Amino acid sequence: MSDRRFVSPTLLACVVVIATSGIVYELVAGTLASYVLGDSVAQFSFVIGLYLFAMGIGSYLSKFIEHALLERFVEIELALAIVGGFSAPILFLMYTASGAFRATLYLVVLVIGALVGVEIPLLIRLLQFRLDLKELVARVLALDYVGALFASLLFPLLLVPRLGLQRTSMAFGILNALVALASTFLLPTAHEKKWRLRFSCAVTVAALSLGMVMFERFALRGEATFLGAPIAYATQSHYQRIVLTRSPRTTRLFLNGNLQFSSDDEHRYHEVLVHPAVAALGREPKSVLILGGGDGLGAREVLRYPNVERIVLVDLDPEVTKIFREVPVARELNRDSLHDARVTIKNEDAFGFLETCTDSFDLAVVDFPDPGNYAVGKLYTLSFYERLRERVGPRGVAIVQATSPYFARESFWTIAATIEAAGFRTLPLHVHVPSFGEWGFVLAGGEGMGAPRALALPRETLRFLSDDGLPGLFLFPRDMAPMPASVNRLNDQKLVSIYTSEWADWQR
Amino acid sequence: MLSALGLGWLVDASLPARRTLEGAVVGADLRLGHALRDGVDRELPRAAPERAEVVIVGSGVSGASAAWRLAASGVGAELLELEPFAGGTSAWGEDGVVAHPWGAHYLPVPEPTARAPLRLLAELGVLTGWDAAGRALYDETRLCHAPEERLFHRGRWHRGLESGDVLSAAEKDELARFHERMSVFSGAVGADGRPAFAIPCAESSRDAAWLALDELTMDAWLAREGFTTSYLRWYVEYATRDDFGADLTDVSAWAALHYFASRRQRTEQTLRGSRYLVWPEGNGRLVRHMLERSGARRRHRHVVLGVEATRTGVAVEALDATVGEAPVLRRIEARAAILAVPGFIAARIARGARGLIARPASPWLVANLHVTRPVEADRAWDSVLYEALGLGYVDAGHQRMGLSEQTVLTYFRAYGGAEMAATRGQLAARRWGELAADVLVDLAAAHPELGEQTSRLDCMVWGHAMPRPRPGFLRATTQPFEPAVLIADQVAWAHVDQTGLALFEEANTHGVRAAEAVLAQLGVAASDSWI
Ligand SMILES: Cc1cc2nc3c(=O)[nH]c(=O)nc-3n(C[C@H](O)[C@H](O)[C@H](O)COP(=O)(O)OP(=O)(O)OC[C@H]3O[C@@H](n4cnc5c(N)ncnc54)[C@H](O)[C@@H]3O)c2cc1C
Repeated sequence: MSDRRFVSPTLLACVVVIATSGIVYELVAGTLASYVLGDSVAQFSFVIGLYLFAMGIGSYLSKFIEHALLERFVEIELALAIVGGFSAPILFLMYTASGAFRATLYLVVLVIGALVGVEIPLLIRLLQFRLDLKELVARVLALDYVGALFASLLFPLLLVPRLGLQRTSMAFGILNALVALASTFLLPTAHEKKWRLRFSCAVTVAALSLGMVMFERFALRGEATFLGAPIAYATQSHYQRIVLTRSPRTTRLFLNGNLQFSSDDEHRYHEVLVHPAVAALGREPKSVLILGGGDGLGAREVLRYPNVERIVLVDLDPEVTKIFREVPVARELNRDSLHDARVTIKNEDAFGFLETCTDSFDLAVVDFPDPGNYAVGKLYTLSFYERLRERVGPRGVAIVQATSPYFARESFWTIAATIEAAGFRTLPLHVHVPSFGEWGFVLAGGEGMGAPRALALPRETLRFLSDDGLPGLFLFPRDMAPMPASVNRLNDQKLVSIYTSEWADWQR
Repeated sequence: MLSALGLGWLVDASLPARRTLEGAVVGADLRLGHALRDGVDRELPRAAPERAEVVIVGSGVSGASAAWRLAASGVGAELLELEPFAGGTSAWGEDGVVAHPWGAHYLPVPEPTARAPLRLLAELGVLTGWDAAGRALYDETRLCHAPEERLFHRGRWHRGLESGDVLSAAEKDELARFHERMSVFSGAVGADGRPAFAIPCAESSRDAAWLALDELTMDAWLAREGFTTSYLRWYVEYATRDDFGADLTDVSAWAALHYFASRRQRTEQTLRGSRYLVWPEGNGRLVRHMLERSGARRRHRHVVLGVEATRTGVAVEALDATVGEAPVLRRIEARAAILAVPGFIAARIARGARGLIARPASPWLVANLHVTRPVEADRAWDSVLYEALGLGYVDAGHQRMGLSEQTVLTYFRAYGGAEMAATRGQLAARRWGELAADVLVDLAAAHPELGEQTSRLDCMVWGHAMPRPRPGFLRATTQPFEPAVLIADQVAWAHVDQTGLALFEEANTHGVRAAEAVLAQLGVAASDSWI
């Protein structure tokens, strides 16, 4: 009798672990769903409902398992370890690589729920020879619920902040496999079967551990599929995720998943960014200010003018300038412009820089990311351009990248109107860059600035621009023609919402 | 269980240790403050008597404004301040990565009638010029950068306080109807030709039809006008709490409507964007300027106990607690004194004074949270949580250019119920840990992670934060909007209690007015009035 009352504490601990990991998988799925799909209330509600329902299915199905209970139990644990353990990485991959996230999510939740549903009835049946039913159900279910509590406390307080979702799911996969392994010691079975089961457990543990170790590269591979080319370099700075991809033909830079340039056609962009401005200046610039443009490609173009004495390049993100000083493919692209002795790099906010800087410049090249949020948006405001004007004076020239006049027409003309309101004379221009489409810039200068007629470089230095091509840059066809636009100010930043809605329209 | 615990331990041990929250209840030295109420030992040692031209009691906006005005006419002042810091309810802190407010945190661009504040802003270089229509233009970097506000409602953030996309049709209609009413009110003019609601409030119409609104609570007014949706009531109550620390049921409808209908001016600059002037240290920036400009000598931890007439002017008696263990009594003789303190305190200092008004005062809790959190490009200056207990928080680092992980968030909570004294008592008894938990819990719906991100959380309890304009508050003065300024011979009063609306423009105007009254008494030829 005393024998029948004894259940080893390790076995009971296993019950808790099982319960904890079941809930953890559910929480992982719910959290990922609300990250990706938004509306956390709905997502959690769907995931929890589906999970409980699947558990019901699992419980029901358990009645069809009649023989070799321990073997089945171990197999179910291992299946759970694999599906649950890899659930976060799988879902992440699905999100980045294809549109099938939602379907995969529900499938994963169904499978996990069903497996968890089989687990407990099976365990009860495995133990029923040791304890009478009343005692057994009470203990197992009590511990199951303890595990649930445990999981729901552990998950938000410790696991997500410390491990992140991916490693959490894999860690619990490992725990599941360890439970399977432990059960082969705790419950009676034939000797040779035991060893086979233990071996599968070991393989699963190894696979998941490898997964955890490979996690960094695993995440990268997801991104690579997403970005469409192998990753040459990737890092997460304070401000953004920076990825450089390289296929045999092209090198591309992505910031937070948005394409910044492609080596195929960046020459079009950067030639138009720099040379018409120098032509409009009417003299070779001696001192040049580059704001943004930490990739050094604008600097590369500026350095084509032999009389340039000094370039000050201001880019917020030290990681970007570091990559373009150090990574070989990047240095090849910018022809090592960031190592040129005439270039001084300052990693600070451009607005802050303008507020404190007292130097003056012949030419300012303003090349920021598009005004898609309020932090960059500040760099497209009246106050910003007023400060810029103080730095170039009435004789200097500035050129500003101003998003696409085709996809974001009102945004483009808002930027032009704002620059004009700061006291500049403006000449808007545009160019077709195949990877981006139609792209626009605003040339800004003093009263006397006229449309440039000839480039100040020897013929055939450039790949795209030529003297005859110049006038065409300044002609705006009707579908991108000037339209009424208001001034963008720091305290309203209307440009951000105009820009976001214009691009959203194209993505519909 | 053990293995799970073990895993937890492993995870915890292998990662950087969790920060523990530090902080304290700062400011308002209650014991010192109560010295005046409870009386002090008259046998304390006495410091040698001193002389000053004018003594100003209190270094809040009113006191600093008075010093600023006096200095412009060449009259020197000595400021006596109970607290170790300046600014009163516009005080600020400078510890941490960015200066931050302990009270007043913004100034809407003043109306053309608020002449003293406009002069101050011009002096600061914040007001840069005037447009063709004669309206003030500002340095745009000082206006609150977009986005100004966001609202956490039904589980996510919305731009602005009017979260259009989650409101029902009825709520939207009502909001539109309310705004329409307010725009009618802001254009309304009384029988005396004055605008119905103006800033400073003394410029408002005395027309009885408009003043009758002061007999109602805002709650009653909303009911009378058929405004019933819970969103609109929340929206209006948010405003009455923010400006007066009062719930709808305990605030004059005139005062509440004044909030919505007194600011008319729009220029090209503020047409579509924020019209708030904000500084990291809040309105403390303005106080600091006036104090520096005036060159007035300032003595902190001086509780003024009394003021009496002498043959040559006044004598001010103060408890000097600079050395906490060994307080001394100090007597300063001056030609005049300005009491820039609340009415109930002025009444204790100047016994027998005429026309002082003791206003009921709302208690407030302010907390500054020093946080490190991931950078995010679209954070607003003011973050409000729908139906939270407090008013949300402002980000002191908002006007900085560039993104930073570190900033200071200033959390505000007004206790708007009718039982002010009881609340005051409860708040005073609360320990730091309890107050800190109150703050974090109130923000948890939007920021469950905030506790982890905060390294320091300091709290300030304002027992008498600001006068509460209850129904009938305009009747506290014999003539509406015309409070006593000279309350005794050579003694003037300057404080937001005078008109009962705690706004920078009011305090600044009261301080200037009191200074000009003192100048007249001293026979100093004041140039034109600044008011
Ligand atoms: C939390 C909070 C937020 C606010 N936000 C805003 C805002 O955003 N915008 C706005 O315009 N207004 C705001 N206000 C209103 C603010 O109160 C006024 O703008 C203004 O600061 C009032 O100044 P005051 O000088 O009239 O009074 P107080 O600030 O009350 O100044 C009185 C001074 O006298 C001192 N004192 C008192 N007794 C004695 C004594 N016996 N001896 C010596 N010194 C004494 C006090 O310590 C204090 O420094 C806010 C107020 C609070 C509390």
